Amino acid sequence: MVNKVTNCTSCGVNLEERGFARFPCPVCDAEIGRCMSCRQQSNPYTCPKCGFAGP
Amino acid sequence: MTTEEISITDNTDIQTDSDDKLLDVSTDAEKSTSLVPIDEYLAAGVHIGTQQKTENMMKFVYRIRTDGLYVLDIQSTDERIKLVANFLSKYEPSRILVVSARQYGQYPAIKFAKAIGARAMVGRFIPGTLTNPAVESFFEPDVIIVTDPAGDAQVIKEAVNTGTPVVALCDTNNMTSNVDLVIPTNNKGRKALSLIYWLLARDIAKINGTYFNYQFEDFEAGI
Repeated sequence: MVNKVTNCTSCGVNLEERGFARFPCPVCDAEIGRCMSCRQQSNPYTCPKCGFAGP
Repeated sequence: MTTEEISITDNTDIQTDSDDKLLDVSTDAEKSTSLVPIDEYLAAGVHIGTQQKTENMMKFVYRIRTDGLYVLDIQSTDERIKLVANFLSKYEPSRILVVSARQYGQYPAIKFAKAIGARAMVGRFIPGTLTNPAVESFFEPDVIIVTDPAGDAQVIKEAVNTGTPVVALCDTNNMTSNVDLVIPTNNKGRKALSLIYWLLARDIAKINGTYFNYQFEDFEAGI
């Protein structure tokens, strides 16, 4: 995980403000980023590599 | 005529044999896809939801019983357990934190932590454990497993502040706010919680290639 994802996978906002999370996709090893707002509102995200839909 | 009859009977015999084999193969495939037989999930009551539901959890609801109880989809629970085990195996076990304020989740959480080498915090979660270095029990995990997002609200709040991913066991009445990965399950039942934690620990040990010598009964909390 050298190239860290810089944008939220759900809304595309830059991951700068505190409260965001980065974690690997449960299916593949692609990194997923979620901003604080999307985490709080439980916005769905989709892995750009394998299409896994969460949360 | 006799030869034709024989040939027809032979063919029919062959067809039935092959059909049986095909049926056998399909049942084996079904067995292999599920972590444990579906009956064990049903016996533990993993599918039993509540009479309340949230919009977040509706995609995991299988049906609504006539008494108003929402029933969870066991297939999705099984799939999610596999996914979460795969997800957790990517982290160092000592950097995984398991939290349970719920009484019936405490024993399985401790056992789970012991089995995979993680850290468990059960009972009251001391505020500041993840955010305040002055607290004696200060710990900075890489990922957190939560037994009930409603009961363990404090740890989720601190996980948001520290940017730690949260995996949660969610029932039909739970909001999935600030949860990054959901395991849809009954998070109130003694046997259900034991089964979920046991399956998670077993699958993580299997993926990591570590020794796992626990039975389901070892994870079962006393009444």
